Order: sequence, then structure tokens, then C-alpha cells
Amino acid sequence: MSTILEIKDLHKSFSDNPDGTEVLSSLDLEVEKNEFLCILGHSGCGKTTLLRCIAGFESFTGQVILNGSAVTSPSPDRIMVFQTFEQLFPWKTVFGNVDFPLKQTGHKDKAERKRVVEDALKKVRLSEYAHYYPHQLSGGMKQRVAIARALALKPKLILMDEPFAALDAMTRRELQNELLLLSQTEDCTILFVTHNIQEAIILGTRNIVLHKGGKIVYDKRNDMEKPISPSSEGFGRIWQEMRDAIYME
Amino acid sequence: MNRSQSGKNGFVYKLSVRIVFTLVVLGIWEYVARARLLGPRSELIFPSLESIGAAFVRNFVKGYAHLSLWNYIGNSMKLLLAGLFIGIALAFVFSGLSTVSRTFSVIYNYVVSVCDLLPGVALLPVVIVIFGVKSGVIVFLVVHAVIWPMSRNIMDGFMAVPMIYVEAGRNIGLKGASLLFKVYLPASTAYIVSGLKVGWARAWRGLISAEMIFGIASCPGIGLFINQMRTNMNNAEMYATLIVIIIIGVIVQYGILSPIEKNTVKKWGMSR
Repeated sequence: MSTILEIKDLHKSFSDNPDGTEVLSSLDLEVEKNEFLCILGHSGCGKTTLLRCIAGFESFTGQVILNGSAVTSPSPDRIMVFQTFEQLFPWKTVFGNVDFPLKQTGHKDKAERKRVVEDALKKVRLSEYAHYYPHQLSGGMKQRVAIARALALKPKLILMDEPFAALDAMTRRELQNELLLLSQTEDCTILFVTHNIQEAIILGTRNIVLHKGGKIVYDKRNDMEKPISPSSEGFGRIWQEMRDAIYME
Repeated sequence: MNRSQSGKNGFVYKLSVRIVFTLVVLGIWEYVARARLLGPRSELIFPSLESIGAAFVRNFVKGYAHLSLWNYIGNSMKLLLAGLFIGIALAFVFSGLSTVSRTFSVIYNYVVSVCDLLPGVALLPVVIVIFGVKSGVIVFLVVHAVIWPMSRNIMDGFMAVPMIYVEAGRNIGLKGASLLFKVYLPASTAYIVSGLKVGWARAWRGLISAEMIFGIASCPGIGLFINQMRTNMNNAEMYATLIVIIIIGVIVQYGILSPIEKNTVKKWGMSR
């Protein structure tokens, strides 16, 4: 295992915050290649801010080092998958939404791109919807397209900010299963923010819990054999541990 | 009868109501004309449909001053298109610049707010004093009619682009001009189309008004034509020209603007 992401002494505060408290204060974190890291914590603990700093959307002090080079601005080697269904470009078809980022990142060969896009859409089971526009899709399908868009780019990191939080329970389970399968078969490192302990245990190969200020209070590998369900042996224990960590004073 | 019917039935219903209504209006018109209900001036105010129809044909065949109405339409369209093109292009350039420079944006927003309130026709005396009676004056008025509402809409559209599209764009490495052209522009299409509609409507009205107020001998347009028909008391020709003006409006609305809307914002689900 090699370290892909290294975060050292990360500080972040928003300039419009009157009392100047830091959202993240001195956060250190290392992520291994091909890890599926789930990040949990209360609202306002800095999970999303951490992800946005890694993505390069926020200015910060400290260091975020990806594969040896410092992160300063957004780049296609770190692709965000947002919570909102409206993250696809409505003026492009499903195919176009996956194809466009490839084209922009220097994939010139059109036939090759077509193959990559079709492959990515197949992975999220949307091959038949390639020519649809986003407004013709359900929320779950839109999130699948966003995942396909990220996969097609083969980024070093996929940063997922509660991508399933706005879905109904059934669709959510479905997408969790698909993402689990993809994370096991694809060569990718995923940072996944969630509020849902069960989701973290099912998906993560490592789970961390943040408290206010981005303090890491829980950080454990999750070595249970996948697929994991609430009836798996050891599920209850981990669930309790994580819950205690979240509600710890 | 259910009036909220949609689809084909709704279309047939609407169309038949409109046809019947039009026929009734024409029938009343013809009755007033034939019965000479308005006395001696009846023929001037309500020429019979037959004479309007004949005038319609005469407009194109004989025209006025040895020029068919086609020539007048052509001249008007030439000036209109030149003005629309310049106005829309300038609106894009200035609105684009105002996304780059904050000072420019403050000034340009202020200029747009003030100029937008100024009817083009009111500017006519000033423009004539400056430029003289040339066809460029009409182009100027069309530019004035279209540039402000278009700029206002483009700038509002850029402001209203959801942050998520911008971030999704920046995430794949777009910035500066590429972000402007590939995210901001398509994302604000709904605003741009509505700017086009307002701009066209104002330009069309402005053009006809300006041509009626002063006709340019070197480039006579539809406004001049209809005004000459009034001066010569060719009232049937006057009505026939009004019909031509309406037809041109319908062609632009349903032949150009509606298809643009249908193939962009409606197709993309950004507007119903």
C-alpha cells in the first residue's frame, strides 16, 4: 500500500465568519491508494469543507499533497460527486455529460472517447439512456451519471459529498451496492462523506469520525468481509463504536 | 367542455376557436363596409375585404414610386438585421467584459439601467442632428432598442448560473474564457432567449416608428411605405400593409424565436 493523499496541519476558516473560529483546525490525514474512506460527523463538523479543500475549491493554510504534489486549485485528477441531483449540465445529454469532461481533459480521439463513455455508462447500468437529457432522469439515475462521469475520467481521487443523501431508501441501497462493486473492481480511491453509519460500514474500507473543528476522534480500518449487511458478524459492534464516537463529548 | 385539455385535442380546439373568431370579425367588417354604416367616410375607414385583398396584391405588383413593397420590406430587413447583429454582438461583448472587470460591471450596469428607460424614438431628433438623415440612424435606433434589454438579460443570466455548474466546470479544468463559453453561456440560455424576444420586439417597433417619422429616400422601408399610403389616402393599401407587418412578425415569432426556444431551453428542461 502506498500513500496517495497526505494532509498536513490543514487550517480553514471562512472570512465572513465574525468570530473567526476555524472550521478545520490542524487536521492531519493520510489516505492509502485504493482506500474507500468514509468520513462521518455531525453537520458543521467540517466534512464537506475538508472535501472541498482537497478538491481545490477552497483556500486554506497547511498542505494537501496528492501523489507528492501540492493541491492549489481544482483539477480533473480529483473529481467531486455532489449531493445535489442538479450537478449534471442540463444542456448536454447523458452521453454528453460524460463525454464533455473527457474532451476537455485532452482526450482527442473521438472513437476512443465513445468507447470510454459507453463503458462508464454500462458500469452504472445506464447504456440505454445515453441520449436522454438530465431532466428526463430520476434522481438516482442522475447520481449514477455523476458517478459514471467521475469513473470515466479515471481520477486519482473521487470525492463524494453525501451523493445518496437525497435518495429514497430503496434507491439508496441499490446505489450503495453498485458503488461497492465498482469500488472493488475499479482502480480508484474514494473519499465518501456521509451522515449514515450503516452506509459507512457497508462501503468503507476505513472509517473516520470528525468532531467540531475537524478533529478526528475515530479512525479505524474496516476489515469485515464485504458485502456487509446489518446481520454480518461484528456489524453491531462497529456501529456502536462509531455511534459512540459521533456522540462523544 | 374541458378547457384545460392538452395535446392534440387542445390544439384542434384552440385552432378552431381562433378560426371561427377571425371569420366572425371579418364578417362584421365586411357587413359594416358594404352597408356603409359610417356614412360618407365608411369607405375610408372600412374598405371592403375585396379592395383590401386587391390592394395587397397591388402593393407587391405596383407598389409605390415605381418600387414594389418587396423593396421596402427588403430595405427594412437589411437595416433591422444590421442593427440586431450589432446590438446583440455588443451586448455579448460588454456583458462578457463586465464579468471580468468589477469597475466596468458597475459602470455598465448603471448605463444599461439608464439607457433602457429611454425610448429610441425620443432619441431620434438628437441622432438626426448628429448623423443627419441617413439609414445609419435607423440602424442606430435598432441597436439602441436591442442592446440594453439583451445586456440586462445576459448579465442577469450569468448572475443566476447555479454555483454547482460552475464548480462542476472548474473541477474538469475550465477557467476564464472556457468557463464563460462552456458553462456560463449555455447555463444562461433561458435568459438570453428572453432577451432576444424583448430585443426583437423593441427593435421591430422602433424600426417601423423611425421609418414613419422620417423616410430615407436612399433606403425606403415599410414604415415609409405605410405612411405614404396614408398621405395619398390609399386606405385599402394601408390596411394591406398592416397585414404584411403582422405576417412578418408571425414569421419571426414562430419561424425563428419559437424554434430556438424549442431546441434549447425547452429541450433541456430549463423552461416549460
